[in-house]
Amino acid sequence: MTRIIVVTSGKGGVGKTTVSANLGMALAKIGRQVALVDADFGLRNLDLLLGLENRIVYTAVEVLAKECRLEQALVKDKRQPNLVLLPAAQNRTKDAVSPEQMKLLVSTLAAKYQYVVIDSPAGIEMGFKNAIAPAKEALIVTTPEISAVRDADRVVGLLEAEGVKEIRLIINRIRPAMVKANDMMSVQDVQELLAVPLIGVIPDDERVIVSTNRGEPLVLAENPSLAGAAFENIARRLEGETIEFLDLDAPSDSILAKLRKLLWTKIV
Amino acid sequence: MNSNAATPDIKSNSGLTETESISNVADVEVNSSHTSSDSSDNTDLTDLSSDELELSAQKVTYSYQFQLKTEAGRLLLILPTESQVPAAEFSWSEICQQLKQRLHAGERWREPQTIMHLVCADRLLDSRQLQELAEILNTHQIQLKSVTAWRRQTAIAAVTNGYSVEQQQPENSLNSAHHISPNPLADTLYLEMTVRSGGDIRHPGTVVIFGDVNPGGMVVANGDILVWGRLRGIAHAGALGNQQCVIMALQMEPTQLRIADAIARAPEKSLLQFFPEVAHMTPQGIRIVRANGFSRSQLSKIYP
Repeated sequence: MTRIIVVTSGKGGVGKTTVSANLGMALAKIGRQVALVDADFGLRNLDLLLGLENRIVYTAVEVLAKECRLEQALVKDKRQPNLVLLPAAQNRTKDAVSPEQMKLLVSTLAAKYQYVVIDSPAGIEMGFKNAIAPAKEALIVTTPEISAVRDADRVVGLLEAEGVKEIRLIINRIRPAMVKANDMMSVQDVQELLAVPLIGVIPDDERVIVSTNRGEPLVLAENPSLAGAAFENIARRLEGETIEFLDLDAPSDSILAKLRKLLWTKIV
Repeated sequence: MNSNAATPDIKSNSGLTETESISNVADVEVNSSHTSSDSSDNTDLTDLSSDELELSAQKVTYSYQFQLKTEAGRLLLILPTESQVPAAEFSWSEICQQLKQRLHAGERWREPQTIMHLVCADRLLDSRQLQELAEILNTHQIQLKSVTAWRRQTAIAAVTNGYSVEQQQPENSLNSAHHISPNPLADTLYLEMTVRSGGDIRHPGTVVIFGDVNPGGMVVANGDILVWGRLRGIAHAGALGNQQCVIMALQMEPTQLRIADAIARAPEKSLLQFFPEVAHMTPQGIRIVRANGFSRSQLSKIYP
């Protein structure tokens, strides 16, 4: 049974595309056949995060117009053979496709892939409706800010109305130090508001920006990062494993401190 | 340029590229990184790895946008006919958006109070749409005076909005240009603009862009493409299958280059130095040479 998961948030800039790219890559890394679908017509980004922009020849719009076959539009990842991307058209708007057409595309993909991950655009208009139409599960991405949480709450309501029952929450860009100082909403605060089961907490990490600009998802990075590990954990939780949440309270400089201690002991 | 070669039937004149793209198809599984070596005749060129993605040897997609041209002292706005773009796919808001950009790109050379004639042909427009059009034109000091409309409803809408209407069917110079067959090449389109992400310039002739083409932007032409600026998006020359078309840019850093039915993408590593360069077809695929080393005679050697 293919898992069809939409990654959505309501608010823009909270990390939907970053989550989609890394989660897709993490699932592919553990051997799953994954199709990533960019539903952000007109403002596509997923191809950039994956570093696949210059390989796009056809997009979903051409597939729907029957100008090419679906397989021709799928862009194979250059590093991970288990991952393909169905790109969105950049020169169209969200009205270029209908929810029925999205369902058709995704159901065709579902025959061949174990996971279909749909990257939803921001907002709750046509693009959002297109993205959630084929989905059976949803991952809500939010940051610990009232605006993002408020929008996420609205989206949860819309998803429930659309019959997407399996909804889980990802809290992105959390800064443990700020939470401790009571300057930022904590995971508990967000969860209390949304009342949606939590599947992952991703710490704020500068390396996410670097990986975005380079088109190399963080989960592929050679030296492991806390954020990358968080993405991998989400992938495994999706697979049904029970994994402890990362201890974010031990901030990254304590890892440095440990290293320093280690070096120090060697020198001494 | 030999405009006869731009036949819509690609299969008949694409022997070379077809073999090229088929061999690429076989490579699909082999992943990237085959930066193919320079062909012997182009020594100082930027290398383009031929792409492992298949650009089908089938139909090259060509969607019609409106055309703007000057004829007999007036500006003509020719909308795509229903046979070119079916009513279901015709987006008036997109046409308006494009028109605004296109008018802006040609602002500098236009005389104020230019007279415009709209060619609707069999396209259905209502009076609200005509009103919207007139408002856009007004901001650029263009006056819509007359409309060619074959459909009664469009004609009535035009008359109520105060335009003179020509209702006659084909067989005059206005209509012949946009008839089903896009041959011969249309007049060259000269644009002073930046083609930004999502921008899509399609023209059944040669396109000259005085400005940049940003990543995510796309230029599709049946003829050549000249970019007097940086080409960083996608350029598709000879979109109907003419392999003799070329792409020129002052600074060539394209996302992809396409000529006829061949396709190539730039190497992953970015370059440090740039020269004006020309991309053209060779039996090995699309290759780039420096503009100062490029001449038409070189092309004629490849395609006698």
